[in-house]
Amino acid sequence: MSVKYVPVIWNRTKFVYDAVVLATVGAYLGIYIYIAPMFQTVTRPIDWDIYKAQAFGTCVFFLLTFILCIGPLARLDKRFLPLLYNRRHLGVITCVLAYFHVDNILGWYNAFSPINRYVSVFIVNTSFDRFLGFPFEILGVFALLILTILAVTSHDFWLHFLKPTLWKTLHMGIYLAYALVVAHVALGALQSAAGPFMTTAVGASVALVATLHLLAARKEHLFDTQQNTMDDSGTWMDAGDPKDVPDKRARIISITDDERVAIFRNGKKLSAISNVCAHQNGPLGEGKIVYGCVTCPWHGYQYRLEDGKSPPPFTEKISTYRLKLENGRLWLNVEALPPGTYVEPIVSPIMAEGS
Amino acid sequence: MAKKKPDPFFIGWAKKPPKSLQGFLFLISAILVGAAAGVAFGIGSSVPDPGDARFAWGAGYQTFTGYVDAKPYPLLRLPAGEDGRDKPHAMLISGIGKRGMQQLAGPLDGQPVDAGGILLKRGDLDMLQVGGKVSLRAAENPVQNFTPAPAEHLGKWRLTGEICDGKCYNGAMRPGVGLAHKACANLCIIGGIPPVFVTSTPLMGSEFFVLADENGEPLTAEVEDWVALLISLEGEVERRDDLMIFKVNLDSAKQL
Repeated sequence: MSVKYVPVIWNRTKFVYDAVVLATVGAYLGIYIYIAPMFQTVTRPIDWDIYKAQAFGTCVFFLLTFILCIGPLARLDKRFLPLLYNRRHLGVITCVLAYFHVDNILGWYNAFSPINRYVSVFIVNTSFDRFLGFPFEILGVFALLILTILAVTSHDFWLHFLKPTLWKTLHMGIYLAYALVVAHVALGALQSAAGPFMTTAVGASVALVATLHLLAARKEHLFDTQQNTMDDSGTWMDAGDPKDVPDKRARIISITDDERVAIFRNGKKLSAISNVCAHQNGPLGEGKIVYGCVTCPWHGYQYRLEDGKSPPPFTEKISTYRLKLENGRLWLNVEALPPGTYVEPIVSPIMAEGS
Repeated sequence: MAKKKPDPFFIGWAKKPPKSLQGFLFLISAILVGAAAGVAFGIGSSVPDPGDARFAWGAGYQTFTGYVDAKPYPLLRLPAGEDGRDKPHAMLISGIGKRGMQQLAGPLDGQPVDAGGILLKRGDLDMLQVGGKVSLRAAENPVQNFTPAPAEHLGKWRLTGEICDGKCYNGAMRPGVGLAHKACANLCIIGGIPPVFVTSTPLMGSEFFVLADENGEPLTAEVEDWVALLISLEGEVERRDDLMIFKVNLDSAKQL
């Protein structure tokens, strides 16, 4: 959380996160470039520039695969949530590595010609009507363009400037970029420059991304299709037994397919707020009350329970909802109140503090 | 009193992750680094063999005296003994980088020449990258008693293989074949490097054919659409010394 823009708000977690990412990238490139060649069964080594391009290109592919796995993994197992925290740095590093891949390709395959190397990417292969032989480099160019846009707009300045919904939609472009990269690899490297291990690894990566997303989607779908009873007026929804809401945690209620409410319990007090964090639409209901505030599990943004406002000097605010207790049951008013609206928490007399 | 179940909650800006998560995060980090190392080793150590094509830098600057044929693409016709071979030899020539030799070879077509440059070698195949002091010029001391033999016509054939550029295949790049190399091959062909057809199975001992159109002229830009694909082509085969020329109509090309 920040009230002013700085390039990076460093903290210990980000240092450790980035160190692990750099160690991973270093291990990949170091072993690919310097160790693996000693074990190759080749008459003569692959040209140094082409080999480096392969190293950087495959590294980018696997980093993108990992980036796309983090989301569904965190949906399926909360222990993976810390991997989300600094995912933007991972994305930026991936984009930078993609430029190294391109630099090696342009400096070798597209060099030594009277035709400008940048122009040549677009004009030397125009077999757009073919599947095999399709100018797969163009797919890579579009993927790189998307990765660049995402990297440049990854800063919170752009998040606030574009607003979370638009920013999130823009950054869903990572899926298009991944699809383009998969096609780029499938129609290029896998057709001639790859051994059986690479073909298997690429196939397994795509299958992993698809499987994790399907599992996470199934879990979300099952949750969203749970039916909650409405009262006769159609404005109050049965939210269950208040004792089922764990202390300092929330129960998430799905009002519609795209609207969820988090009912938090802080001791004997119960409050309902939007499940969507104002920062990056993180699932607040999977957060926890820390220092008296609901804390988002993604990036630690905090909100007061009673009015959905971040504590000063922060200015984020989210919608609140009204609750009532009737015959020992908790009822949620499904009409969202304007963000930041104060709602007196309800007190459940049957719950002891800390239970 | 029942012991309270731990409820770990990670906050990025907190000093440390919860103790109960630290082991898990360490394990994930170790798996990540280990998987990266394993995958890198697996892919890097199993790359396909690009062959023994290479620039023969170790042989230094080479000069040859023979005749030059400008069509379909410039090649040297060398007498026996000139290249350490016991029979006359036809050798493709190229300029430096992705440039052909048409401009220099055209006016010298059929004449005795001196050629100097760096050899590219792939097994018995070779190509001379012409440049340096000698470059390609009218011969100062033509080889006596040598005239290149006329082309030998070997009939009509349908062959299966891949179109590459003659320079990268001969060693300018490793690997110099395949779809990943298509853009490079097209740039070479656009620059005047001869397109060649590398067949899946040898014809009369040769898997390497310089391509030409049906009239023995350079191919049109249409050839670029067929580069790096597994195709079959039909045309007349002729032999000049030890080099095969495949005179094709690209309309006969079929992708396999």
